[in-house]
Amino acid sequence: MNNYFNLSIKELNEKLKKKEIKPLDLVEEAFSIIEQNQDLNAFITLNKDEAIQEAKELENMEVDNLLFGIPIAVKDNIMTKNLRTTCASKMLEDFIPVYDATVVRKIKEKHMIIIGKTNMDEFAMGSTSQTSYFKAPHNPWDKTRIAGGSSGGSATAVAAGMTMFALGSDTGGSIRQPASYTGLVGMKPTYGRVSRYGLVAFASSLDQIGPMTKHVYENALLLNAIVGKDDHDLTSVERKKEDFTALIGKDIKGMKIAVPNYFVSNIVDSEILEKFQQVVSLLQENGAVVSYVDLPYLDKAVTLYQIIAMGEASSNLARFDGVRYGYACKDPKDVEQLYCKSRQEGFGDEVKRRIMVGSYLLSGKNAKEYYDKALQIRSKMAKSFASCFEEFDIVIGPTTTTVAYPLGEGVDDPLQTFLDDVLVIPVNMAGLPGMNVPIGLSSSNMPVGMHLIGNYFEEQKMYQLASFLEQKLHFGQKEVQE
Amino acid sequence: MEKLTKEEVLHVAHLARIEVSDEEIEKYRVQLGQLWSEVEKINEVKSDEEMLFITPIKEESLLRSDDEKEEMPFEEMKKNAKRTSGNFIEVPVMIHE
Repeated sequence: MNNYFNLSIKELNEKLKKKEIKPLDLVEEAFSIIEQNQDLNAFITLNKDEAIQEAKELENMEVDNLLFGIPIAVKDNIMTKNLRTTCASKMLEDFIPVYDATVVRKIKEKHMIIIGKTNMDEFAMGSTSQTSYFKAPHNPWDKTRIAGGSSGGSATAVAAGMTMFALGSDTGGSIRQPASYTGLVGMKPTYGRVSRYGLVAFASSLDQIGPMTKHVYENALLLNAIVGKDDHDLTSVERKKEDFTALIGKDIKGMKIAVPNYFVSNIVDSEILEKFQQVVSLLQENGAVVSYVDLPYLDKAVTLYQIIAMGEASSNLARFDGVRYGYACKDPKDVEQLYCKSRQEGFGDEVKRRIMVGSYLLSGKNAKEYYDKALQIRSKMAKSFASCFEEFDIVIGPTTTTVAYPLGEGVDDPLQTFLDDVLVIPVNMAGLPGMNVPIGLSSSNMPVGMHLIGNYFEEQKMYQLASFLEQKLHFGQKEVQE
Repeated sequence: MEKLTKEEVLHVAHLARIEVSDEEIEKYRVQLGQLWSEVEKINEVKSDEEMLFITPIKEESLLRSDDEKEEMPFEEMKKNAKRTSGNFIEVPVMIHE
């Protein structure tokens, strides 16, 4: 073992350029660590043969960018041509995409090497990855605990050092919450920054793809690679080219930071609050101006999320009918039974519950009574953030109310999974960028995270603050200790 | 939290086109009731807002040009269908004599 993934991306790039190492060395190291840690269930499908072949093909090419030849793991709800994409569901157990998602096309253009598809909650519905049809991933910091979700496999893969880079997706915290539970940097970009083409849709007005890494710089670098307007996704946004690493390392003196009182209320464990407050003091000592503010409607985020996400999910998942792709039941007597039985047998419990409630929410007069009302409150919430950002640069709070808890806990409680994301859901509601940065370890030696919320398209500023925290708290150097 | 009735579970399962067994009905009577009680909290929120926040995107025109292009041959597209026949995807007989 050469511990290549403990080097910085710049160091690795230098070695590749000088031909001191080859992409194949990195791929072999990744699979060696994956094989030693199979019990973590980080991956659903490995891409070993193809990755090795790709690495060999790169040997004779010019190393033309920092991500060249670097292994990456991709969440299993992002389409990869000719590589199985299951969404952690029996419904898509044998689904082989016939095209690449736009983000996959983009990372391939950088010559990153996809090593496999990571475990997750079924159709990204959950906060623990325990709804996966393929057994839950485990948290590398403590294997008896959850890795969070829904991007739990991506979090596990990076935290255990199997890869430096992973892609996740975030509908109501699914990048940031597992990043918090496993001590990673996880960014959900502004809605529209990254094309959703080829991301299996869950709740289309909330979903975004984003990077998960150990370090801030690497995270910004991967975001640089995947952003951009895409004709295949009409909700992707045209922006002039930006470098998300531009403000990394810059002084935070004078930065105006807001802490909503709800984020530091008694819904958060006291140990997490204590760590958070220590960081607030650190920010103040270094010239940031921190103010506590009241942001209305934050306490209604879970209800809003349930209505909007379940409604949209019921509509999006109507396509799984046993006809064009996915699981089909045996010997249906008519088309109606083909639909209903395929869906009964192909979907897991969490998904079925959400589709049923969502279908009911959108039916008849309920659509007006519940769904429209939720969209009105969503509008209010977005406006309250907008007025906050007139005065402040960044909003912060803890990312989660607890550290990662034991596997198996709360699996019979359909509400628990929503409550885990209470602090991160508002960001998806407004379409703002949100990010987890690790700020330390709890007394149980589990990672604690801080949540940064930026104004629309102000990810640069978030990376600036995140890099300050990384430098002061040295979190990138804290490795999983067995 | 109130449990749903069996008829209510069957109604929502029908809307969702999901078959449910007797055992599942009993389970969902409780679980869907729990979820619904959370949904109902929306009624506690007072709002004078009329705007519906449907998407965070503020751009007005979301249409692309209406050009014909072949992005994927049908042969590729039908690869994942379980039952195909020539250029068709098969489904069970819909109209019986």
